Amino acid sequence: MWGRSASFLLDKRLRDQHPSLSSPSSSSPDSTMDPNPNPNHGVSAYYQTRAEHHAIVSSDWLAQAQAAVDREDDTALMERPHASAAVSLSASKPFSVIDEFNYWRKKPDLAEAVAAIMALAAVIRSCEATTMMELEIELKKASDTLKSWDTTSISLSAGCDLFMRYVTRTSAVEYEDFHAAKLRLIERGEKFGEISMKARRTIAMLGQDFVFDGCTILVHGFSRVVLEVLKLAASNRKLFRIFCTEGRPDKTGLRLSKELAALGVPVKLLIDSAVAYAMDEVDMVFVGADGVVESGGIINMMGTYQTALVAHSMNKPVYVAAESYKFARLYPLDQKDLEPALHPIDFGVPIPSGVEVETSARDYTPPQYLTLLFTDLGVLTPSVVSDELIQLYL
Amino acid sequence: MPDLQALVTDFVLKLKRRKIEGSQATAKQTAELLRQVVSQQRMPYTNQASVLIDAVRAVGEQLIAANPIGELSNSYLFLAVGNIVRRVLHIIREENLSSTTAAMEGLGLTAGSDDDEGEHEDRPGLSAAAVAAAARSTLRAPSLQTLLEDIPESAVAPHPSSSGGDSEGKSKSADRGSRSKKLKHDVIEAINELIQDIDTCHELISEQAVEHIHQNEVILTLGRSRTVKEFLCAAKEKKRTFRVFVAEGAPRYQGHVLAKELVGKGIQTTVITDSAVFAMISRVNMVIVGAHAIMANGGVIAPVGINMVALAAQRHAVPFVVVAGSHKLCPLYPHNPEVLLNEFRCPSDLLDFGEFSDCMDYGSLGGSPLLHVVNPAFDYVQPKLVSLFITDTGGHNPSYVYRLIADYYSADDLVVQQNST
Repeated sequence: MWGRSASFLLDKRLRDQHPSLSSPSSSSPDSTMDPNPNPNHGVSAYYQTRAEHHAIVSSDWLAQAQAAVDREDDTALMERPHASAAVSLSASKPFSVIDEFNYWRKKPDLAEAVAAIMALAAVIRSCEATTMMELEIELKKASDTLKSWDTTSISLSAGCDLFMRYVTRTSAVEYEDFHAAKLRLIERGEKFGEISMKARRTIAMLGQDFVFDGCTILVHGFSRVVLEVLKLAASNRKLFRIFCTEGRPDKTGLRLSKELAALGVPVKLLIDSAVAYAMDEVDMVFVGADGVVESGGIINMMGTYQTALVAHSMNKPVYVAAESYKFARLYPLDQKDLEPALHPIDFGVPIPSGVEVETSARDYTPPQYLTLLFTDLGVLTPSVVSDELIQLYL
Repeated sequence: MPDLQALVTDFVLKLKRRKIEGSQATAKQTAELLRQVVSQQRMPYTNQASVLIDAVRAVGEQLIAANPIGELSNSYLFLAVGNIVRRVLHIIREENLSSTTAAMEGLGLTAGSDDDEGEHEDRPGLSAAAVAAAARSTLRAPSLQTLLEDIPESAVAPHPSSSGGDSEGKSKSADRGSRSKKLKHDVIEAINELIQDIDTCHELISEQAVEHIHQNEVILTLGRSRTVKEFLCAAKEKKRTFRVFVAEGAPRYQGHVLAKELVGKGIQTTVITDSAVFAMISRVNMVIVGAHAIMANGGVIAPVGINMVALAAQRHAVPFVVVAGSHKLCPLYPHNPEVLLNEFRCPSDLLDFGEFSDCMDYGSLGGSPLLHVVNPAFDYVQPKLVSLFITDTGGHNPSYVYRLIADYYSADDLVVQQNST
């Protein structure tokens, strides 16, 4: 499935030479196996994962996936010793935190932050430190490696930071025995996957309360948490209908509408530009979040800011469903204050040379346009986020 | 307890018949009733807290269930009842936790050694201090700090009694006996403090009046709120000179009563109609109103007409201040049907039956008259329209309300009714 974006670039290159589309060849490197994403691709690894998890399966994609898998076997053997030499303390250990992270990230149900914490737990398991200080230093190194590997993902760095804080706090007073402490850390890290599933269930329970009979909900982007909320509301026999934005170019609307139609919920697809047109009939807007920043604003798929602005001007509430481990210590002052995360956009026709394309994949929505945040810590107003972060870090 | 049941039904009847005036009296009587419940409850040796919690919950459910949604014209009093029930439940949990942590820390090393045997193999080497700290965190609202921690329910309450039960024998049982009395005693003391807080909320709020009302200011209010009255009178006593515009608050015209009371204290007062608020708001420095309830998002349930005043104040950039005791703080959100559905009062307040009897006659014209009269009792004011909340704990932003809720209520108690929807 990695072949999706790689093949697009291949196709583009081929198209530049020949006007007809041809099937992918195996020459372009796959950026997910590199320790650093190839900047020439202009593709953020984070958004690649999302594409991998949720791509609609079609026959040519299957073919691309097969080609990609063949490529991976070749590159993996070449890459692995290189990666492990870079990150592990001793050259003989084949353990690589990046590999571990990638392994966990592939699972479609697992959030990015959870994969990071699982990877860090695996680091603890395989490390040879005998004191807390050594362990913390190794963890810090692994965490920095992960963060530098994909600088654009906010929940990744938030997850790493959260686990580091937990390790520092736990080690301080409470454990007399190092091995006991180590076991406990590993156990908690590995249990984090469960915690994240529990978090989604809590959020679903809180969020479905706000769905009333006969309401119309506008959803932007494909968030597994929002889907969980809607699933629970549907199973509680609430009658509501959904407006889905198309979500170009990730096709989030198509994916989401497929899931919701399976639940028997009436869905209407809108093109992204039709949001203001349809906002009259809408009762509330639901979005997920890639990250929640310190001001209480959110970072989410491109188009969220727009939707929130329209909703605010028409007095419709905007509800965000996000797990608490997505709270990050960032404070963007404007849209350009974030790490650029780019993804390829297919216009269907070749773009003339000299014409630029805005390929940023996400935007920042300031807190004044958000009404409430549904998190596993409860239903919060945006001002609570900085409070929680302060409690954690100070 | 038939005695207790009689008290509860008596209280519910009083509420329904509007024999209790205002939310302060309601809150106080609810707290006193619950204090009775707690003191009459027989306490077993183990699981005392859960027994108390169940007892209080049962009474709470009865009280809240007595208000069929939307039928009574004083449903905000039932909100106050619900608040106090949840406060008492939170008090029980807190007192229980502080007594068990004290006991655990007292047990010290003995608890640690008991831990290693039997049940707690999954947590080797945890010191008693660690368990206590973790147990404390289960009571606090969930936060990022505790996200990764995992303390099962069994770590709290029954733990000290079960771990020490067999080994320590008589000394422990005597200790436990005194602890059970202590829990009840602590809870009753805390409820007494709560009752005292409810009693003195007006004084505490009025003390802050001088900071907010300055010399030669013009204040606007609507209707009559006892808290606002005492607030203004306190400022007057501190020798502030100011003027008050009182909007009469149709259709009950309580504003007239307030105007008379203010004049009695020597405050220059002007009476205006509700419709004149927009016209006069530009001459006003500050709006001060009371509330029936404060919601978890910072929104306000207030007498009808106050939403209009809030909008006028926002339009003219006039600070909109809400004064309310902390017993009015409700952990529910406005989407909740308990809160959302408005009350409709008697239409005769608006139109005299005598004159309009033929228009409103259900007997003629095929049973459906052309003239309807609607008399809603409440308004919901959005949090973004409120500049400041003045409660007995001080002045707060609407976005700070979540903190007060976390201090006074536990997340487990938000749904008091068991078999709803």
